[in-house]
Amino acid sequence: MVTPGHPQPVRLSWGPSGHAKRLLTLALAGLAIAVLARRAEFAAAAAPAVLLLATWRRDRPRSVLVSATLTARRMVEGEYAAVQVTVSGHGALAVELRIDPASAITPVARGTAGPVGSDDGGPDDGGPNHGGRSGVPFLATHWGSREVGVLEIILRDRWRLSEGRAAVPLPRIDCYPLPAHQRTRVVLSRLPSRLGEHAARVPGEGTEFAGVREFVPGDRQRRINWPATTRRGSLQLNTFAAERVQNVVVLADATADVGSPGSTTSDLVHRGAAGMVRSYLAARDRVGFIGYRNQISWISPGTGQRQFHRIMDAMLAEPGNWDARSGIRRLPRAALPSGALIIVFSPLLDSRLVETLRDLRERGFTLLIIDVLNAAPGGGKDRISDLARRIWRMEQDAIRFSLRELGIPVVYWDGEQSLDEPLAPYTRRVMVSRR
Amino acid sequence: MAAGLLAAACVAWSASPLAGGGSGTRPALIVGISCAAAAVFRLAAGDWVPPADVFENLVVRTGRLLLEALRAGPWAEGTVIAALALEALHHSRPWHTGLLAVALTAFLFAVHLAESGARPAVLRPQLPVLTAGFGLLVLCCGAALLPAAGTGAASGWLRAFAAVAAVAAGALALPV
Repeated sequence: MVTPGHPQPVRLSWGPSGHAKRLLTLALAGLAIAVLARRAEFAAAAAPAVLLLATWRRDRPRSVLVSATLTARRMVEGEYAAVQVTVSGHGALAVELRIDPASAITPVARGTAGPVGSDDGGPDDGGPNHGGRSGVPFLATHWGSREVGVLEIILRDRWRLSEGRAAVPLPRIDCYPLPAHQRTRVVLSRLPSRLGEHAARVPGEGTEFAGVREFVPGDRQRRINWPATTRRGSLQLNTFAAERVQNVVVLADATADVGSPGSTTSDLVHRGAAGMVRSYLAARDRVGFIGYRNQISWISPGTGQRQFHRIMDAMLAEPGNWDARSGIRRLPRAALPSGALIIVFSPLLDSRLVETLRDLRERGFTLLIIDVLNAAPGGGKDRISDLARRIWRMEQDAIRFSLRELGIPVVYWDGEQSLDEPLAPYTRRVMVSRR
Repeated sequence: MAAGLLAAACVAWSASPLAGGGSGTRPALIVGISCAAAAVFRLAAGDWVPPADVFENLVVRTGRLLLEALRAGPWAEGTVIAALALEALHHSRPWHTGLLAVALTAFLFAVHLAESGARPAVLRPQLPVLTAGFGLLVLCCGAALLPAAGTGAASGWLRAFAAVAAVAAGALALPV
C-alpha cells in the first residue's frame, strides 16, 4: 500500500510486451517457412519484424517512485472520484495507469480525467493517463465500505517492445448510500421543551403568529396589537407559537436483503434512511439512528453535519450474518428519547422486528413504518406454488393490518419516487402523538 | 475496425486462389478464420467486465468463461501463423507474399494500437526502422523474382539462406 502523498519506491517487473511477442511470432514464422520451404520471399516477410525487434534495449529502471492519493475517501454512490498518482524516476518511458477495480467500482473511460503533466519530462504519446502526475477516475456504483482495487502502472519503452509492470493496492473508500429525495417532514403534535425550528402548539417566543390576548403587566410593549386594541377598547397583545426541536430516530432494518441487485430491500432501507436523516438534520432536528441486524447498533440523537457522517459510518459498518438464534426483542432505552418520532425502514419480513415495533407502540412511542418490500417469492407456476404465494401475501397483509390496528401508520415506498409522496398524508398536518 | 479489416484481408489474400492450395489448405484456412475472428472479438470486448451477480444463471456464467478464454488466447499470433502457412501452401508469387507481409505487419500494429488504446502517433519513433524493413522486404522479394542460378534443391536453399542472411545483416547494421 502506498502512503498517500509520500512517494515510495515500487519495484517493476519487466517483460516483452504483447506487441513484441506478436512481432517475434511473425519473424520466426517467416524465417522458418523460408528455410523449410526454400522460399526467399518468406524471409522478406520477416524483415520488418526482425528489424523492429533489433531495436530492443535493456536499459530500463528497476523501480519508480509512486505516490497515490484518492481525491475523496467519502463519497455517495454514483459519484466520481479519482486516484491522483505521481510517478517519477521513469525517465523517457511512457507511463500508463489503470485501475484493476474491486467489486462495485467502475473505472471511467479515459478522457474524463486526462494527464496533468510529467515531473521529469516523460513523453506524452496520447495513451491513457500518461505522464508523471495523473488522475485516474473511477465511479462507485454501490454503497458500502469497500476497496477501490489495485492501481496498475505500466511503463513502455519508445519502441513499445518491453513493458514494466507494477501493482499498487489502493486505500478503501466509504461510499454512502444515495439519499432518497425528501422535502417535507413529518412533525409530531407534542414536541420536547427544547429550542428548535418547529412551531409548537404552545405559546412561546417564536416567530409564528399564534393569536391575540389581553395585555398583562410585564408583557413586552412592542408586541401590542394596536388594531385589536382599538377594536376591543383594551390593550391586546400578539402571541407567538413556541419553536421546538423534534427528536427523530431512524430505524434501518437490514435483516433481509431480497430483490434485484442494486435495488434490494437493504439498498432501499439504507437509501431511504439516509434521505430521512439528511432531511431532518437540514431542519436542525435531533436525529438518532438504530441499525437493526445481527446485533443492534445505535447512535443517540444529535444535530449537524458531524451527526450525519456518524450515522452514515454506522450504516456502513460491517453487517455480519444474521443469527437466527439472537433474541432481540426490545430496543435499548438509551437510543430512544422520550417523545421521539421513530421512523422505521423495513421490508417487515422479520417477525422479531414486528414484535419489537409492537412493544415500542405499547411503550407509547409514535412510530411510522416505511415498507420497502419490493420482491415476492419466486418458484413454479403450478397450483401449489401459486397457493403458497397467495398465503405468503396474505400473511404479509395481515402483519401490516395488525400494525395499523395498533395505530402505527404503514406506507409503501418503491425506492424510485420521492419520500414526500408516501409520506404526504402525514406531512400536511402535524402527526398526533398518542400515549 | 482497422484490425478486423486487416485480419480479414490477410486471411483472404493468403487463401486466394481458394482451389490452388495443396493438402492442408482447408484446416489452415479454418484455423486462420477462427483466430482472426477471435482476435477481433477480443479487441471488441476490450476491458469490459460483465456485472457480477451472485444469482447469475448458466448462460451468463458460460459467457463469462468464454470471455476469459477469449482474453487468454494468442489469437493474433495464430492468425499470422495461419496466414503464412496458407501462403506457403499456395506456392504464390514473391510479390504476393510481399504484399501479405505488409498487411500482416499492419495488422499487428493495428492490434497493438487497439489493445493499448494509444494514438497512431506513438508509432512515430518506429517509422524509420519500419521503412528500412519494408525496403529490405522489397529487395528480398525482388531477389526472389530473379531467375535461379542453377536447378535443383541446393539453389532454393541458397536463395532462402541468402535472404535470411540479408535480413539478419540488416538488423545487425541498424544504427539504433
